[in-house]
Amino acid sequence: MSCNDYLYTRRRALKAFSASILGIPLSQVLANTNSNKAKAEHVILFWNSGGMSHLDTWDPKPGRKVQGEFNPIKTSVDGMEISEIFPQLAKQMHHAALIRSITGTNGDHGRAQYELQTGFNQSPNILHPGIGSMVVHEREPLGDLPALVSISGQPARAGYLGQKCEAYFVGRPGQKDPYLSFPEGISHARGMQRLQILEKMNRRNAAEKGAAELKASQTALKDAVNLMESPALKAFELDEENPKTVEKYGNTEFGRGALLARRLVEKGVRFVQVNRGGFDNHGNIFEAMRNHGATMDPAIASLISDLKANGMLSKTLVVVLSEFGRTPRINDGGGRDHWARCFSCMMAGGGLKGGSIVGASDEDGMAPAERPVKVADLHATLCHALGIDVNKELETPQGRPMRLVRKEAAPIQELFA
Amino acid sequence: MSFSTIHCLPSVTSIPALIHTLTRLHSITCVLSILSTALPVSADAPDFRKDIQPILESNCVRCHTESKVKGGLRMDTYEKIMEGGETADAIVPGDPAKSELLVRVHLRPIDEGVMPDEGQALKPEEVALLDAWVKAGAKWPKGVTLTERKPEKPKRVAMPQKAPASNIEAAAMLDDILRRENASTDVITTDPISDTAFLRRSTIDLIGRIPTVREIKEFESWGDDRRAKLIKKLTSHPRFADRWTIFMADMLRIRSNVTGGNQLLAYINGSIEQEKPYDVLVRELISASGRTNSNPAVGYILGDDAQPMELAASTSQIFMGVRIGCAMCHDHPFDDWERKDFYDLAAFFGKTVKIQGRRNNRSVYTTEGSKMTVLWPPEDEAEAEERKPVKPRFPFQIATSKKSPHYIQRFRAARLARENAKSGDKKNASLDALLDAVEPKVGKTDDPVLKEAKMESKKLNVHADIYRSSELRNQLAQLITDPKNDYFARAFVNRVWAELIGHGFVEPLDNFSDYNELHHPTTLDFLAQEFIASGYDFKTLVRIITLSDAYRRSALPSGTPISVREKSELNFAAAPIRRMLGEVLYDSIVVAGHLEDFKWPKGANNKKVTREIRVPTGEFKMVEAGQPKMMPEQPAMRNDGYDLESSLQINFNSILNSKEQNELASMREKSDEQIKAEKMAAMQKEQQRKVMQYKTETITETVDDNPRFSSAMRMATPAPPAHFLRVFGQPSRVGLGEFRDDASSLRQQLMMLNGRMTHEASRVGTLEPLHRLLKKDQNLAIDWAYQEILTRLPSPEEKADARTIVNNTPEGMADLRWALLNSTEFRFLP
Repeated sequence: MSCNDYLYTRRRALKAFSASILGIPLSQVLANTNSNKAKAEHVILFWNSGGMSHLDTWDPKPGRKVQGEFNPIKTSVDGMEISEIFPQLAKQMHHAALIRSITGTNGDHGRAQYELQTGFNQSPNILHPGIGSMVVHEREPLGDLPALVSISGQPARAGYLGQKCEAYFVGRPGQKDPYLSFPEGISHARGMQRLQILEKMNRRNAAEKGAAELKASQTALKDAVNLMESPALKAFELDEENPKTVEKYGNTEFGRGALLARRLVEKGVRFVQVNRGGFDNHGNIFEAMRNHGATMDPAIASLISDLKANGMLSKTLVVVLSEFGRTPRINDGGGRDHWARCFSCMMAGGGLKGGSIVGASDEDGMAPAERPVKVADLHATLCHALGIDVNKELETPQGRPMRLVRKEAAPIQELFA
Repeated sequence: MSFSTIHCLPSVTSIPALIHTLTRLHSITCVLSILSTALPVSADAPDFRKDIQPILESNCVRCHTESKVKGGLRMDTYEKIMEGGETADAIVPGDPAKSELLVRVHLRPIDEGVMPDEGQALKPEEVALLDAWVKAGAKWPKGVTLTERKPEKPKRVAMPQKAPASNIEAAAMLDDILRRENASTDVITTDPISDTAFLRRSTIDLIGRIPTVREIKEFESWGDDRRAKLIKKLTSHPRFADRWTIFMADMLRIRSNVTGGNQLLAYINGSIEQEKPYDVLVRELISASGRTNSNPAVGYILGDDAQPMELAASTSQIFMGVRIGCAMCHDHPFDDWERKDFYDLAAFFGKTVKIQGRRNNRSVYTTEGSKMTVLWPPEDEAEAEERKPVKPRFPFQIATSKKSPHYIQRFRAARLARENAKSGDKKNASLDALLDAVEPKVGKTDDPVLKEAKMESKKLNVHADIYRSSELRNQLAQLITDPKNDYFARAFVNRVWAELIGHGFVEPLDNFSDYNELHHPTTLDFLAQEFIASGYDFKTLVRIITLSDAYRRSALPSGTPISVREKSELNFAAAPIRRMLGEVLYDSIVVAGHLEDFKWPKGANNKKVTREIRVPTGEFKMVEAGQPKMMPEQPAMRNDGYDLESSLQINFNSILNSKEQNELASMREKSDEQIKAEKMAAMQKEQQRKVMQYKTETITETVDDNPRFSSAMRMATPAPPAHFLRVFGQPSRVGLGEFRDDASSLRQQLMMLNGRMTHEASRVGTLEPLHRLLKKDQNLAIDWAYQEILTRLPSPEEKADARTIVNNTPEGMADLRWALLNSTEFRFLP
């Protein structure tokens, strides 16, 4: 279920795959097993595809020409104001940190999405793993469910980490994955009977051959059946949730996705990515953002308050991210265009210092005015929050040494107490 | 002896997991003591010069010496080794557990931080010697300085004296060489598999699916020479090209979503089908210029975006098995390649330019510019004005001996014969004659074939200036494919051998280096020479390998100690377990379950389904220019969630016959003003485009659930993420040197257990032969099902079990078939 399962493959046995931790003496690492002070165990990443405007969300510019249609509102944190499209979130901001000085380098959707999700720039001959794949590669699995789940779309690929670190994805929250139960028309009893027949056949074959590959295949089969039979699967079914709760989250696909994300981390899923698009608002941005606010606000605010209520917030890092921001200048069509030079991100929970603001943009949100944050710093921060060594180096199956996080990146220390 | 007693550490690869494991074991000392009891330790302190110096010089000094100092550690003198590395003490005399060096050499080859990092792992007895040496105080005689010992060249045995007269004789020679190369190695050579297992194995390998019952019966009816007959038949089968296109697509990293990707795929398929010699194919790939439709081979250059650095790295790694690309940014860490070598090679691609059309990327083409873009010294080593154009130089050695060995003489003869045969075909075929030949058949004058042919004839000169062919890349292609270039044939033979046998003479397959072990060098040389002698005929290579005894080896029985198993498999004396490729598994389920055609009469599976559809509202919405396509917003799954098992085929023929030729010709006739005006108009049109509005409706309808599945061989590649093929190891084809992931996964099992394809394949359709058989005699039906799925009859015990399961019902038969399709025996090759 995690990346580390089913280790035995022929090529690995032939030592095509090995990994090293350069720069860290192994004996020292082994001696300090409890040095990990990280609090976060899970991540819920809201991926907002298309380039979400920073000015109309986390970084309002009242009184400036670039302000647009929205007014800032006060939040539960003194001196922190956000856009009026997030009234419920405003009440949760004491749990959250805002980063207002991210500076990206890619103004093109594809390249920027790649960079924001992997922490690296695209390169023609290597595929970098997405942040979710990276996390489940580094942290051991908890519980029966797959360690990385993506809702309403695909996250970045697992790249050189391989198929085992790919996301398990849910097309639509609440929709049942057909692969988790026997096919239509096959009752549970008949399905179990079939498994018994299969087990006997496989046992015969293994008794004859007994190669490690067959054993790995059997282990995978056992895990598959365990997952199918796991009570934790109930987490995927939203119909058993109180209808009032579903309403509270907004009862949109996004809201149900947020609710599902909460249910999944409660069952031990390490990383949940909830995907949503529609932020590429070159025209009529204010109408679009008002609608986005109406969808996002109840969902993310309810998620944060529910996680707080059940004690999960301190170990669950909630991240709201997009590939870039949008031009401060409002174009003739009432929209904003791509803007990578300066944008924002919201992070909540996960042991981060709530109520903090990192960096600031200039008066029009054109460029960082204080403490510029590089894109890869976000990945370093996320790793640090989860207790993953930011300097870790892996080797690709092809033997090329690769850092998990770009060398020049550093965690945002101000966010950690 | 089991796996775990040999490798005392439980199976872990990540450091957190390792720490976790070790915490459970209390301390590292504990691990070391477990290890040292399991390994032979000599009672006396080892002798430094005799025991220790050779180990350090062969395995460590290369990277830990004055010129390299990896990890800040030098190991060439006592003083330096005692200084330790950047982070820890390499050696603490008397205390192996505190000595970083010892901790690391104790790790398993797959663990993180293991040393040596590159090359062979230390042998257990070598590790034990180092342990004992440190325990005894790490004595180092005064003044001894260590120098690197280069690995010994692999030992070769004698080559056969004469050239083989047939593929069968070549295969026998191959087995003889292999036997002699294994003579001093302690391996178990297994018996050949049965003929029916051979039928299954070779059908899967060569045409990418399991054999049908009809093919089994035909094979059984043949006489003593049936294996040779079968190989001949399979290598001439129409599916052969499809199956090996997958192999080539993996090797060349062909992606449908890259400009020219599908054309390249179709071109490779056609080349295999037409038996184009491998060297000719590679020359075409490396030297191609032009557009993807007129010259689909250009897809190779476009695949790396016509970037000289990337192309140099991939060309040498793919076609010669040399990872010189590592020297792009620094001298090769594990090999002797220097940065300059790489730049010299890259210069062959340094004048290649990719031209992007004005309006869309349908008119992308490559040509040869006049400026050399590869400059030396590299950007990070010099100021811009100091950097000078690089003169191309081929950094690989090509044999220079004047005498031509027999295989090169045979190669020349084969090539000459081929040329003669070709020119014979077209002796009188002038262009006009060709056009005449087309005309009567097609009748109408506006026939596209004719039009294209005419266009082609007019454009012959036009081509010369737009798509200037690349002189530099032509030179490079000649050098790479020179039969005297040892790397070229061996790199390809190594890949084909690994595909058929389970692993290569060199692993990773594309890493030929003095520092990477080469097994059975003579066997590899022999195959490479025969491949060259055949005129680089791919089918000859496949035939020689599949006719050999080496290809017929069975797997070792269970209970074989793991070390014996590994050694025997590594030396090609026993067959490793191989899983079918994803595409092959897919097609095998389709064939076994008769899913290529309807197996139910119309209406037999009518059912009511409710689903959501998108219907046009009739209204349009104006959308601003530049609204790009974003990450897919539609759910990645179909409404029934089974989209991950569909296969949409690409039509290879139509791909290579599009109208782009004409577009380009007409473009050239326009003036710049015209082009500008058109561009403006197009931009205006694009600025606001009308987009139809849709709404979602839920409908209930009756559908006849009687699915058909087509072959996965010609799908767009790679398949979408999480698709059946990807889950079963199809690579993304982005990473250079990325190989198929052959590990098992939970997701694979879920797709097989609960997938639609296995389910439909199991059900007994009333139009299937099995249905009739079942009504007649369930014993016959059980035999048939076993043959159809596993290519063999059931044992008496299995048959008895099967009778209980089937119990004369179609449902019971479906249960049996479902289990057979899900069994490891089905998925893994015999």
